[in-house]
Amino acid sequence: MFFSFSGGLPPADVRRGRQPPIRIGIAVIAVACCLLASGLVAHTQTPSANRGAIRLKVKFKSGDVTRELARKRFFLIKGSLDENKSLIERIKQTEVMSRECYYRGNGASDALIKWLKDNDCDSVYCREVEEKYVMGSEAVPEFEAAYDEGLRNFKSPELARRWLTVNLAADIRDGYYNLKQQTINSLIKQAETASGRSVLSVMTDRKGTAYLTDIEPGTYIVSNLVGSETESTRILWACEREVKSTDLTVAMKRPLTLSNEKDPKVKCEVVERPLPVCER
Amino acid sequence: MKSEPQRTQRVSQRNTETFSAVPSAKSSANSAVKSAARYPIAHRFALLVIVTACAVAVVNTQTRRRPRTPKPAPQQQAPRGSATKYSVFLHSSDKHKGLACNGCHKVPTAWTAKRDFPDVADFPDHDACVRCHRQQFFTRQAMIATGPTICTVCHVRAAPREDARFAFGKPNDSNQATKTKEEWQFTIEFPHDKHQNAIASTRPIDPSTMKGALAYARASAPSFHHAAFRQSTFDDQKPDYNNCSICHVTNQNASTGTLPGAADSFVAPAGTFKTMPRSHDACFDCHWKNLKPASDDCAGCHKPAVAFMPAAWPKRISARFAHEGGKGGHVMECTTCHINITRASTLRGLTADVPIAACTTCHKDNKKITYPKITTIEEEFEQNKKTGACIYCHTSDVGKKKPPASHDAAAQ
Repeated sequence: MFFSFSGGLPPADVRRGRQPPIRIGIAVIAVACCLLASGLVAHTQTPSANRGAIRLKVKFKSGDVTRELARKRFFLIKGSLDENKSLIERIKQTEVMSRECYYRGNGASDALIKWLKDNDCDSVYCREVEEKYVMGSEAVPEFEAAYDEGLRNFKSPELARRWLTVNLAADIRDGYYNLKQQTINSLIKQAETASGRSVLSVMTDRKGTAYLTDIEPGTYIVSNLVGSETESTRILWACEREVKSTDLTVAMKRPLTLSNEKDPKVKCEVVERPLPVCER
Repeated sequence: MKSEPQRTQRVSQRNTETFSAVPSAKSSANSAVKSAARYPIAHRFALLVIVTACAVAVVNTQTRRRPRTPKPAPQQQAPRGSATKYSVFLHSSDKHKGLACNGCHKVPTAWTAKRDFPDVADFPDHDACVRCHRQQFFTRQAMIATGPTICTVCHVRAAPREDARFAFGKPNDSNQATKTKEEWQFTIEFPHDKHQNAIASTRPIDPSTMKGALAYARASAPSFHHAAFRQSTFDDQKPDYNNCSICHVTNQNASTGTLPGAADSFVAPAGTFKTMPRSHDACFDCHWKNLKPASDDCAGCHKPAVAFMPAAWPKRISARFAHEGGKGGHVMECTTCHINITRASTLRGLTADVPIAACTTCHKDNKKITYPKITTIEEEFEQNKKTGACIYCHTSDVGKKKPPASHDAAAQ
């Protein structure tokens, strides 16, 4: 039985605020159908359908040459630059000792510092220690000593070279890397406390490219948190990006390019400082 | 229209019915009739529908959020006191769980370890077992029939002069008799992100060497450490992405049979996959001592798990991609395609994770100038129009399906 409200008074039930049973039934069925439909629709969607992605490209100009910033970690922090003012200020003020100053301060040899610098290594783990660095004219004194100890322990020249890092002192081995990580972890903690979200991170490849995928749409800051050392300077980025729900393919066509050159299209805080002169 | 006193009476009657523990038959019948009068069929039907709908919605949500994982098989443990109880060693048993790993496993093993590096290479010494299981070794009951069953945990047969033992752990390359059941009781914890940070070599690469990629034959290294620590010259004509190749080199074997998860009988040819580290050497070269987790901290890397049989080959559903394949060889850096690997802090849930957009970094018509021999996604779409299949990249059954939207987007 259906009621018409087109003219006259509604039925007595309705006037007293009580819905007639069939009418309530129809309403309930309609709600139920909606629930069912929403459940089914949601089921057919992939979880990442409403997520976004960023293709990151990082480069820097040094002299007349523009290079890609390879093998550096970048972090994704929820919120805009304005919303994270205190964090950005802290990031800008945070000073981490330069790699060269750290190693010089810890009595590392020039040969070791050169070995690290040649491949932009923060620790001895980042590249193979080839034979020429263990003995001969290019030998690194620290490696020579560790090799000799390995030879005594393992009785095998090959093993002594391959396992060379196990016989290096901690500050020479990865002290600088750990120092940097401590600072980064402290900044991440602050960022996570402020935003209430975990901080994602990715590393750029050899061509300075990285992808941040499966991101909830919103405004984010992409930053390296501590300045990345280039040939003669250290560059810090904190750039804002609006992430929309989009496929990676679309995101690839619109990369977020970070550079130490001015780009009016990107809202960025870039701090570039010359590397300090280190004293032994 | 009911009067106010009538409604009050009805409410009080309903309360009585609800809280009556054992209603009489008569009262039940009466209440049923009254209930039917109070709740018309439409109401009941509506209620039923809404409950069903809610249930379906909840089930859908649950299904969507939580990917179905196979229920772990219960640990098979023979009843206490039975002969078979001590034939299988479980790290997860109550007593064993409480022991320190290096209480039994000595690092390095000073027994018959057949390695060219110090390792945990063999079963613990007899003392590790006997100090708690004297009864299972030496009582008269233990000697019945084939001898102490507990011996067969390590030894091929329980005989006093039987020296042959099963292979200790898997993988194992010490040339011992191989245990028939390659069961693992631990998973390995490996944070790719931290290791990528540390092993981030940016070895200078001469662009001219990229041209000779086809001639690349570096991946014939027979084992991990030969590959990882060979002289890193560029004579082999292919860039060496040290941050990955230090652990993963090309697997020169074809898959044995169909791959797990493969949609048809696709057998992966040699060079399809990369290897995974096969021995402790891959970790101990840095983590032998001092650098945590060090070699005597087994739990630093090995996490207890329900016993499982590891898959011999990685899971593949339809992609025919071969790391060493393709007409021009795949020369790009690993992280160009494996875009999420540098953020992976655990191996749990880790997948190959290669989006189609990574393929079209090269496999597009506009890249023909740089890579003249490539097959492009546009060519495959044309092929699909003619034959209804995309079989250059996919196995036949999946290749016959309509390409998803991501592929269209990647082609644009």
